[in-house]
Amino acid sequence: MVAMTEAIESAPAGTTEFTVVGNSPAHHDFQDKVQGTLRYGADWKLPGMLYGKVVRSLQPCARITAIDTSAARELPGVVAVLTASDVPFNKVVDNASGGLGELTVAQPVLAEDRVRYTGEPVALIAATEPEIAAAAVDLVDVSYADLPGIFDPEEALEPEAPLVHEAGNVLVNWRIGRGDAAAAMAAADVVITGEYRSQHVEHAYLEPESGVGWSDNGVLTLRVSTQVIEHASQIARILDVSENKVRIIASYMGGGFGGKEDMTVEPYLALLAWHTQRPVRMVWDRQESILASTKRHPFVMRYRTGAKADGTLLAQEIDIIGDAGAYPCLSARVLFAGAALAAGPYRVPNITTRSRAVFTNNVPASAFRGFGAMQVVFGYESQMDKLAERLGLTPTEIRDRNQVSKGDTIPTGESLHTAVELTATRDLALARLGPRSTATGPGCRVGRGFASGMQPYGRTIWFRDHASVWLTLQTDGSLLIRSGVTDLGAGQAASLCQIASEVLGAPLEEISVYIGDTALNPPAGGTFATRQLYMSGNAVLSGARELRDSLAAVAAEELGVPPDTLVWRDGMVRTADSSGQNRGIRLAELAQMCQRRGVSTSNLHTWRARGGEFDPEAGQGDSFPDYTYGTHAAEVEVDTETGVVRVLKYAASHDVGQQINPVRVQGQIQGGVMQGLGYALMEDHALIDGQPVSTLFANYLIPTTMDMPDIEVDVVESGEGCGPLNARGIGEPPVGPCAAAIASAIKDAIGVRPNRLPITPERVLELIDEQAAGRVAKDGDHE
Amino acid sequence: MTGAFEYQLADSWEEAVELHRIWGEDGKILAGGQSLVPMLNLRLVQPAGLIDINPIGAVEPRVADDRLVLSALTRHQDLLRSPLVREHCPILAEGAAQIGNVRVRARGTVGGSMCHADPSGEIPCMVLALDGQLIAHSPRGQRVIDAERFLRSYLTTDLAEDELLTEIRLPIRKHGQGWAFLETVRRYSDFATVEVAATATLSSDAHTVTALRVVVGGVADRPLILSDELLSAAVGGTGRDDELRAVGAAAAATVSPESDVHASADYRRRLTEVLTYRALGKAIERGRAESKGAGV
Amino acid sequence: MTKTQVQLRVNGRTHELWVGTNRLLLDALHDDLGMADVRYGCGEGVCGTCTILLDGEPVSACLLFAVQVEGREITTLTGLPAADAESHPIQDCFLQAGAAQCGFCTPGMMLTALALVERTERPTREDIRYELVGNLCRCTGYTKIVDAVEEYACRRRGNGSHD
Repeated sequence: MVAMTEAIESAPAGTTEFTVVGNSPAHHDFQDKVQGTLRYGADWKLPGMLYGKVVRSLQPCARITAIDTSAARELPGVVAVLTASDVPFNKVVDNASGGLGELTVAQPVLAEDRVRYTGEPVALIAATEPEIAAAAVDLVDVSYADLPGIFDPEEALEPEAPLVHEAGNVLVNWRIGRGDAAAAMAAADVVITGEYRSQHVEHAYLEPESGVGWSDNGVLTLRVSTQVIEHASQIARILDVSENKVRIIASYMGGGFGGKEDMTVEPYLALLAWHTQRPVRMVWDRQESILASTKRHPFVMRYRTGAKADGTLLAQEIDIIGDAGAYPCLSARVLFAGAALAAGPYRVPNITTRSRAVFTNNVPASAFRGFGAMQVVFGYESQMDKLAERLGLTPTEIRDRNQVSKGDTIPTGESLHTAVELTATRDLALARLGPRSTATGPGCRVGRGFASGMQPYGRTIWFRDHASVWLTLQTDGSLLIRSGVTDLGAGQAASLCQIASEVLGAPLEEISVYIGDTALNPPAGGTFATRQLYMSGNAVLSGARELRDSLAAVAAEELGVPPDTLVWRDGMVRTADSSGQNRGIRLAELAQMCQRRGVSTSNLHTWRARGGEFDPEAGQGDSFPDYTYGTHAAEVEVDTETGVVRVLKYAASHDVGQQINPVRVQGQIQGGVMQGLGYALMEDHALIDGQPVSTLFANYLIPTTMDMPDIEVDVVESGEGCGPLNARGIGEPPVGPCAAAIASAIKDAIGVRPNRLPITPERVLELIDEQAAGRVAKDGDHE
Repeated sequence: MTGAFEYQLADSWEEAVELHRIWGEDGKILAGGQSLVPMLNLRLVQPAGLIDINPIGAVEPRVADDRLVLSALTRHQDLLRSPLVREHCPILAEGAAQIGNVRVRARGTVGGSMCHADPSGEIPCMVLALDGQLIAHSPRGQRVIDAERFLRSYLTTDLAEDELLTEIRLPIRKHGQGWAFLETVRRYSDFATVEVAATATLSSDAHTVTALRVVVGGVADRPLILSDELLSAAVGGTGRDDELRAVGAAAAATVSPESDVHASADYRRRLTEVLTYRALGKAIERGRAESKGAGV
Repeated sequence: MTKTQVQLRVNGRTHELWVGTNRLLLDALHDDLGMADVRYGCGEGVCGTCTILLDGEPVSACLLFAVQVEGREITTLTGLPAADAESHPIQDCFLQAGAAQCGFCTPGMMLTALALVERTERPTREDIRYELVGNLCRCTGYTKIVDAVEEYACRRRGNGSHD
């Protein structure tokens, strides 16, 4: 049978313009989200389902002398009460540290003889009703004997400090070094010092940690809100079963931001479902989430920056201390990113950076959008501003003299191999601010500032990262994408559809993407490190091209043209002749032809990131695949009588290489700025002796509509990036420059530079007071 | 997850009073529920009985004997929407607009806020500034309580165990009286760090400030009325900047707030000074406009 | 614990259920009636993910008990009258503006916005921000949400221009 071919309207031949990529179709998850029909982690209910709760430590540092669960067990409706002795293998072991910063400390799933932070899980409850499970929590009687705790990471470094773990309080000590920083510093015309402090920050995704678990055919399945389905292997170890007996399905997340990168509900659901052999749902209370979920690391950053009189940087000496809290989680990697990026996008020929993660009896800190590379922006940008002031240069001039360019070498010793469009982003952001606003009241002052930043995308290079995808053209011409990607709400899955549609010409509405299932999807690695567009996007791009190549052979034969002249668009493959009489085959027909000829319409593809080595002794080597650069500019009004800071205007510009979906790119930038402004001005998960002072969503403050200005976005497309079609990642980068831009604007308004976050109204007044009392150095740094 | 409780409906104030008597301290009155239900959800309070007085319903705000009469069940949003409130006690609309969010204002009640007696709550501060009276009912009859007496301490009122707040009466605004309610919050929609409610009365020629009343919230265990002595720098004056600043400074010197997670004592004192000064300025400006008949 | 029968009128339909007196309206809607568009986010009335319209007014379903709302009209996002078979105009506006990312806050956000536009024909951006202050979003930075509500108000007025 001869395939049906048909003449269709002519399309421009050999065009390199994209038809799907670069547009912002409101498709896929957007539809369900505005309909309210998307099913999140808490939205499944199974027959006979139980409700799980975690009993948590109320002490930050204590020996457990006894746990009496009898009253809880006797409560009608309680089905199971589990403690450490019920856990087959009571350790959370992250076996992916990649040979660097090997972790010698493991976190217990349930505390055994000792608790190390307030909120640490001690026991588990499963009951027939959520209200009963909550009541049972109150009935578990844990007896504690207080131990001396340590709550300040700098104090934890003292020789006589109480040990959080026997192995010592320093989890990791990274060094990055190049040239001779001490000698260069001694020879510098000017040396600027600065100390900068950041705070614990809560992710505060609107969807609390949640999921359901059940056991079926000897396989434990968890459907949870998670960024990382690969935790299935850890669950298998905890249950002491082989990995093929654990399946994890990721629901579309109601936000994650790194907070669902470590396990949250998974081990507890697994244990309860395994023990009871009944389905179990667990949803953490918001207050529980604020208390016990991981946080962004507070950093203490000390900078010494040496420069020539003309502003050229000669040397940096940087010391970073990050509060890891009670257990390792991802601290080793966060502090590595802090070390690698500590100098920012500036040429520094001589540098010594030390970056330590230190255990305390505070809540564990781990991944949070920006991952160590965002905290240091406040440090390096403040230093640049101070250097400019000292030398009588403008902030723009000092940056122009030192900014990195493509081909430059950064402190880790690697060279930058894609475009660095910092100047373009800066010009755009500054221009966006428009005319300067006038103050609205007598005690009010307006100020402006900007800050640039660079943020890696993709995992540290020594992980030899890879992602797989499986594409299938169905016999009706529709396309299936199967990928282990998890979707945070940033369009991770939808972007894959756009890329596949661009390559294969299948219309978006005929593409389904099945994601986040360890049993049915090829592994993509988790969604973190701004890696999914980079990794899975590349996997889809090259996998779809491979599939297209095999389909093209059939189509080319049928149409009698060379395969590389075919155009794939609008559900068809067609000839690209310029006669205006080009012919085409519908993808459905093509799939059927392939089937008849025994040509597979399915392709499983693995894409591998560039590899490299890092020498931790020398502090030199390859670190990250590439970086996303950007600049933010802010205008604020400071009420000098109340200290209240209002952000009047905010503009953000990033080079994303090539936009896949412009609306989603803007959304990432606007949302990142919102988190960055919260971090700069109000968010603080403060702890006093390990106990959080904000335990409610009413007093852990995230910005509201009224706290936010409209965020103006300008996107630069350099056409250079390591992602698919030269895209760069944009998930984390927008959160970085905010605090530094705001601090700089406040300095402009009041004449004194904040060096501690968040910059609350009370702190602003303190700064103004210090200035009035003459305790402020000429460059605006308070002494 | 709330603990178990008996749920009781009251269709009338009489029924509510009776149920309140029966349950005693084991029972809690459920009005708007915007403070109580979070505490129930967090298991901070676990009453045996919950007496829902919502079915009683609120009569519309009305004016009687030169007083604005509000049912205890008047919702915050009614203060914003009632033309009568805007005309006779406009400060209530100004302050209510700063309460929580649209959902809190839709359910939260003025009586509930008074009984909750949060020292930084907007309603207690304004009711005290207006020198309001609170009507309580018990099996023993009715009692009229001055706001100053009603607000005893942190989350504590003058109500006896068997008394229920049913009504609030507020003197209506006189000619030439201006008002202002100002607060600072750490984040929009939050409880105030410090708040100030002020009224200012001007002479008929709009020249002289003849009377002031200022209440500061968030600086003690209850909202504080600034004494006549503290206000003396501005009463009899013309509302000059230095007069108002003097009152602000005197107020700041008087209050002795505590430090907590939201703000230090010192910062609260600073805010007391600034907000008092600014509220006075705004109230006097409005009073002047009112007395000139210009309206605002 | 003893349960009591309640009749809930939700999205124009009456449901009879047996609930404990301490059953939150949120849990009754989400778990007993399976309404995934009414979501637990904090239990404090702060975040707005459980926003419903109670006789047309936005309220927190986490601060009401199911037994309290007999005889009241409850509207959730999925109960909005659709302009076409698919969606309500405000949903179209959110879709077109890209005003949802993770989508968790979206139903509550739209219900609050609807109630605003019902009362205020021409809300300014500042009006919209004021009204939505109790609906927290951690993804979008709010700019596109305000855009979407502005556009909806404009469409509802029946002219194509923002004035």
